[in-house]
Amino acid sequence: MAEATTEPAAGRSSLMPALERMAADILRFALPVLFAFFVGAVVLAFIGENPLDTYALMLSEGFGSSRRLAATLSAATPLLFTAVATAICFRSGVFNVGVDGAFVLGGLAAAAAGTLLPVAFGWSIAPLAMVAAMAVAGVWLYVPGLLLARLDVDEVVSTLMLNFIALGLSGFLVNTLLLSETSGNNTTDTIHAVAELSRLMPPSTLHSGFLIGLACVFAYWVWARWTPAGYEAKLVGLNQRFARAVGIAIPASIVLVMAISGIVAGLGGASHALGQVHKFSDGFSAGYGFTGMAVALLARNSAFGIVFGAVLFGALASAGTTIQLFSDVPLDIVNVIEGTVMIFAVMELGRLSLRRGRAS
Amino acid sequence: MMQIAEQVLAASVVLATPILLAAIGGLVNRQGGIVNIALEAKMLAGAFVAVVVSSATGSWLVAVLAAAIVSAAIGYLFSLTITRARANMIIAGLGLNVLVAGFVGFIMNVGFDASGTLRMPDVELLPKLLPGSVAALPLVGEALADLDPLTVFAWLSVAALPFLLANTRLGLRLRAAGNAAHVARAVGLREKSLQDFGTAFAGFYSGLAGAHLALASIGLFNEGLTAGRGFIALAAFYFARNRPVGTALVCLFFGFLDATQIRLQTVGLPPQLIGTLPYAMVILGLCLTAWNLKRKAQA
Repeated sequence: MAEATTEPAAGRSSLMPALERMAADILRFALPVLFAFFVGAVVLAFIGENPLDTYALMLSEGFGSSRRLAATLSAATPLLFTAVATAICFRSGVFNVGVDGAFVLGGLAAAAAGTLLPVAFGWSIAPLAMVAAMAVAGVWLYVPGLLLARLDVDEVVSTLMLNFIALGLSGFLVNTLLLSETSGNNTTDTIHAVAELSRLMPPSTLHSGFLIGLACVFAYWVWARWTPAGYEAKLVGLNQRFARAVGIAIPASIVLVMAISGIVAGLGGASHALGQVHKFSDGFSAGYGFTGMAVALLARNSAFGIVFGAVLFGALASAGTTIQLFSDVPLDIVNVIEGTVMIFAVMELGRLSLRRGRAS
Repeated sequence: MMQIAEQVLAASVVLATPILLAAIGGLVNRQGGIVNIALEAKMLAGAFVAVVVSSATGSWLVAVLAAAIVSAAIGYLFSLTITRARANMIIAGLGLNVLVAGFVGFIMNVGFDASGTLRMPDVELLPKLLPGSVAALPLVGEALADLDPLTVFAWLSVAALPFLLANTRLGLRLRAAGNAAHVARAVGLREKSLQDFGTAFAGFYSGLAGAHLALASIGLFNEGLTAGRGFIALAAFYFARNRPVGTALVCLFFGFLDATQIRLQTVGLPPQLIGTLPYAMVILGLCLTAWNLKRKAQA
């Protein structure tokens, strides 16, 4: 999926290209978002709503007070994980669209550990649940990674299909083995109180999973920017033939990024289960894997951009639900904007996108 | 026992139709070189349009055509983002699924003051083609009595497709655009326009698929109506490696799974797991194909 090669910046001072690149990065982030808000504005105008009023309301509902900001960050939390999980593969040219399924299974594993481990384990339940989630989700995406690396099985199809299998499998488990005895269908029991992640700003649901998410983004930045494995993975994404020529083991690199992607997505599921919903029930992921993909695309896989994009989409989601209450604008406008962002983010808008973004 | 078999057969055929229609569109599209991840979106749009138009006009035929045309138009626009603006087809497709779901929900909410489910008055359902008396025939009776125009159209399409793809100018050119774009360009074909046609075609058939979902029996629209069938269609033509007849048989099998899910539950097979079979089959199929290729390459 290498889009184009980096243009040589011959004959210029070293500062100018850096500034130019930064400006291009910002534009690449801003343009699809602006286009999407424009499309949203047309839709809003069409139903007789003033788009500016609606967007102003969304802005204040997204960031207007510390409580609203907490709600936004809370909604951004799962996206930090899913965006990193996506970016780590996309920058290697591995088209992993299975993050949503890994997130779901991670959440399921964490919720299972959070309810089934004996209470006596105390504070250690939460980390154990996270390890379980990372193991399950890591293996889940390791498999299509291995199939891609060894047999050249198209990872788009395999990971897409695995999402549905993850949904079916988790739906089966929460109706049988893990079914709550007290609270009806399609859900596990609530996890032990001691396993819950701490709330950062009560009464908001913002929980310490947000900090873990930020740590993941930071770790991704370090990995991508400063480690040999991260650099090799980037080369694989830029040009496989070159990567092979300089002696990079491409299959190993592909399997590695897929497994890490699963681990990060699983940790995200664990954070959501232990911090946000405190159990696993059907409909656990509200498309977090796909919104995370939109975030990663917007950010062109840069760590800084991911934080920005996750907060943006978090704000959209949290403001979307409240403007539905205060105005005639339905929540669906958020999906309209998100879908448009995804499409515009991959369209090549003029010369700008002919250059390839760098990770981190 | 015989009666159960008869019912299962009838249900399998009906449930296979929307998957088959979408799969026909998707496989033609893929022969033209575009993997269409957005069949789901176009089915959803088609189902919505079908219910609204059927209610407004009282004509199933107008409704079906409107659904197909709207979805074909969406498909065409979607294709332009891929062929002209060089958007990645997978991401653009996933984006379109989100966008269309949002847009349909939005219109439903604002235009019809409904959320989730849209019930409209006077929706005309698809007619049955054969007189009810055919139900008396053994085994196939019930299936024949249930036959609707879209099911017949789907199977006629399957019968015609191998010929159309292998022996007509358009079919050959479309496949050339998909299999060897540079050759197609070198001999003066406009491969991008051919691909746009393929995607619009996929939209047309997905629109029919959506119309069948909405108008075959329930006569209403629901946001979850398509329930991943666009992806099951994708699974079908991937599994059958783009061959029309094979794809149709796979669709029939998926329809059979759908029809027997509830019955199998009583013998201890959970419906959630049966629902994952189509997806698991594709992965397995891809692995076997790849493994075979690799073995041949080594031999």
